[in-house]
Amino acid sequence: MPAIDLDLLQGTLDLLILKTLKWGPRHGYAVASWIRETTNDRLQIEEGALYTALHRMEKRGWIEAEWGLSENNRKAKFYQLTTAGRKQLRAKTAVWTEYADAVSAILQTV
Amino acid sequence: MSRFNDLRRFVRVDRGAAGIERAVDDELQFHFDMTVRDLMTKGMSPDEARREAERRFGDVKRTRERLETIDRARAGHERRVEWWSAFAQDLRYAVRGLRLKPGFAIAVILTLGLGIGANATMFSIVDRLLFRPPAFLVAPDRATRLYVARTFRGKENVQSYMGHRRFLDLKENTTSFDAMTPFYVNKPAVGTGDATKEMHVGISGADLWRMFDVKPVIGRFFTAGEDLPPDGTRVAVLSYAFWQTQFGGRPSVLGTLIDIGPAKYTIIGVAPEGFNGFARDPLVAFVPHAAFTAANGFGDPKNPWYSTYNMTWFESFARRKPGVSLETANADLTRAMVLSYKKQIEVNPRSPSLALTKPRAFAGPVLADRGPNEGNDAKVATWLVGVAAIVLLIACANVANLLLARALRRRREIAVRIALGVSRSRLLMQLVTESILLAALGGIAGLAIAQWGGKVMRSALLQDANIDSNAFTDPRVLGVVAVLALTAGLLTGIVPVFQTRRSDVSAALKAGAREGMVHHSRLRSGLLIAQAALSVVLLVGAGLFLRSLVNVQNVRMGYDADRLLYVELNSRGIKADSVHDNLLRERLLEQVKAVPGVSNATRALTVPFWMTWQPALFVAGIDTVGKLGDFTLQAGSPAYFAAMGTKLLRGRGITADDREHAPFVMIVGQSMAQKLWPNEDAIGKCVRIGADTMPCRTIVGIAEDVRRGSLSETEMHFYLPIAQFHPQQGGLFVRTNGAAEPKSDAVRRALQQLMPGVSYVTVTPMSTIIAPEIRSWRIGAIMFAVFGALALVLAAIGLYSVIAYNVTQRTHEMGVRVALGAQARDVIQLIVREGLRIVLPGVVLGAIIALVAGKWIAPLLFDVSPKDPPVLVSVILVLIAVAVVASWVPAMRAARVDPNEALRAD
Repeated sequence: MPAIDLDLLQGTLDLLILKTLKWGPRHGYAVASWIRETTNDRLQIEEGALYTALHRMEKRGWIEAEWGLSENNRKAKFYQLTTAGRKQLRAKTAVWTEYADAVSAILQTV
Repeated sequence: MSRFNDLRRFVRVDRGAAGIERAVDDELQFHFDMTVRDLMTKGMSPDEARREAERRFGDVKRTRERLETIDRARAGHERRVEWWSAFAQDLRYAVRGLRLKPGFAIAVILTLGLGIGANATMFSIVDRLLFRPPAFLVAPDRATRLYVARTFRGKENVQSYMGHRRFLDLKENTTSFDAMTPFYVNKPAVGTGDATKEMHVGISGADLWRMFDVKPVIGRFFTAGEDLPPDGTRVAVLSYAFWQTQFGGRPSVLGTLIDIGPAKYTIIGVAPEGFNGFARDPLVAFVPHAAFTAANGFGDPKNPWYSTYNMTWFESFARRKPGVSLETANADLTRAMVLSYKKQIEVNPRSPSLALTKPRAFAGPVLADRGPNEGNDAKVATWLVGVAAIVLLIACANVANLLLARALRRRREIAVRIALGVSRSRLLMQLVTESILLAALGGIAGLAIAQWGGKVMRSALLQDANIDSNAFTDPRVLGVVAVLALTAGLLTGIVPVFQTRRSDVSAALKAGAREGMVHHSRLRSGLLIAQAALSVVLLVGAGLFLRSLVNVQNVRMGYDADRLLYVELNSRGIKADSVHDNLLRERLLEQVKAVPGVSNATRALTVPFWMTWQPALFVAGIDTVGKLGDFTLQAGSPAYFAAMGTKLLRGRGITADDREHAPFVMIVGQSMAQKLWPNEDAIGKCVRIGADTMPCRTIVGIAEDVRRGSLSETEMHFYLPIAQFHPQQGGLFVRTNGAAEPKSDAVRRALQQLMPGVSYVTVTPMSTIIAPEIRSWRIGAIMFAVFGALALVLAAIGLYSVIAYNVTQRTHEMGVRVALGAQARDVIQLIVREGLRIVLPGVVLGAIIALVAGKWIAPLLFDVSPKDPPVLVSVILVLIAVAVVASWVPAMRAARVDPNEALRAD
């Protein structure tokens, strides 16, 4: 399976990150690894872009950051969803699903 | 996941600039370390792992910059949000605190409002008099009002008035100016029929329109070609307000005629709203100088207005060219003035020599009250600004006192909050927020007061209350009020802040309310001493002005001002012969004597304070009479002295026999007689008027001295029968039974019937003519009294609140005293003495300040020494009385203390 360039789908990265944080606070590396592992490396996410997205969403108030200790006892910046972030996740998920349905409906016509 | 939660130990994110960079570095470093470690566990070599990590990440440098930018924006935003929410919280807290104590809040707001309002009012007036340039003026820093100065009998006389010939000499022989125009205001009758009213008209050259950045609303302005002697072109530019109110803003007004004085002018344009030239009185129209002067018959055929040096009737304004210094311009003007004076000597060989006259000219400030001939009103207004500032200081002291008392009451609350971990800076912010909120509300109250008080004051000081000036919309007044309110808020807020800084948390928590009093009440006493001192200063000022006013009103004028009306004849376009003019005046004189309430009447050629006539006199044996001083003239009917109430000291007055062809006679004032014939009897002496070839006028009587040019000086004055001197000119003085003013309308109606055609009479009470002379003392007396009373009330409230507070704090002590056998009288004495102990140093201090400041105010007083003992003594007594009363009330309360209760409490 060829790798997908995520630049195609604007806003999708935000959605993926929000989804990743749904189960609790994670640091940036954990978010990147989780996406990589879950998609079997099929999404080519530039990690720089991932961090930019994290900080931008923090500024927008969708996620908040706090410093904590990682599993190997190192200082790491943990991100978690805020109420606004949870709302964004729901909205974006709905929009994305509808969009994907619509696109695939067109593609499936013979 | 759950391990994360357990291990999490949150620390606040540092938001400083260095903190942001460090945080981004830490975050990315952690990311790389983790990636490399993971890749190495999957079997990569350290080098491979690092390269792979960098590949996955992309452009590290750009990402880092981007992250820092985002984080900085977020940090800034958070700081602002936090500050505002803290501020909002403080504000809510302050509002809640004030609503719990509405009495306190209202007292503070009103006190500050009065202080700020007084200052805003005075500012708006002084701003008009001294600071604000005329609206639309181009380059106000280069615009000037021209002055000419000549030395006369060793004294330099500076004048802003000049005649056309002089103006032309200055304009043509200078190069420093790019615009120069005559400008003055006249009050001719404007309109026709019932709508005819005397209104202010601006008379100007065409350069006016270049000195201001204005364009006509409709039509056009007049040109230099329409302002040429001998007759000019009769065109008029209406003011916007007049166009709106009289012509409903109709454009069709262009080309129609309007009556201004004796002539009709064609309306050619409308000036923009708010444009008033250099004038302070609101104008209705602007007309060319040449047209107005010619139409009003200035000068005579032998001496036309545009070529004579003998008349001065307008002021001139000019604009320096850019880059020309004031010194250069003044030197230029003086050169032109010397040239002009040489020409004058050629025309009038009798003018004093150049060496004696030392003529010069200079460019002064546009605002007359900034110039060399500033009015008394401006001086008084400037003083009142100082007074208003003192009132504000007293108000601030009072508010600081109230806030301090409140802070003292809240000592325990504040201590508790500090103990609970509220940071001190946060606490200070809260207190300052509270006082700024109070000051802001006070500022609004002040604006309302300025809006109302400003109208009253402007009509008193500027005479043009109808000039649009709304304190709520005037940016300059708003700015001043904002600055005052903020300053007052900070000043008053700082005092309780010092208090909380000093308060020791644990001590305040442990101790009851009783301790820690003495120290703070010293600060409060200091404020009270200052208040008392300032009150003394203001009240002394009020006393001095009040005495001046009384003196001015009691001064013997030499005529009964309160019982006289002046009737002026305004002939409009009617050129009657002199016989007819004389007959008309005699008929009016007969008619007016028949009006009920009129007891007598006389004709008069000149009017005190309005018009003087100063002819050259020739007396045998005296070289040049003019060197001995100014001798002014009056001509009247036989009833003159009886009607005016001027006493004849010796000889006789004017009689019916002093007809046109009878021997010429003259009555002189006492000081004139003494000046001209120091050791001789003046009666029987001969005086010639105008030239030494004129017929002899024999002195037949001596009258008391009169004041007619200045209230502070009598004039050397003489009287002629009007039948023997310009019988076709002048107006009437009408003497009434009782006060003159209420009769003016009846007199006007009775006389108007006799006036031919569209000519008319105007009737002015003599008291109205004198009023402007008395005005500065009246205003000084009223304003000092108002501000002084305000200061006194504030000081009394301040003293009362301090004493009352001290008494409550000392309830325990009073209880002990009463329990030990002190009588009510002893307790009252104790408290009242305390009140006096606070006030007396203030009174002494204030008296010293008043004595020292007296020498500056002396020139504004009338016949009163600034060290006037009765004023000083009565002010000191008033303050002591107020101190006794203010401490009496709480003292009575202290005397009624029940020792049982007092000792059990706390």
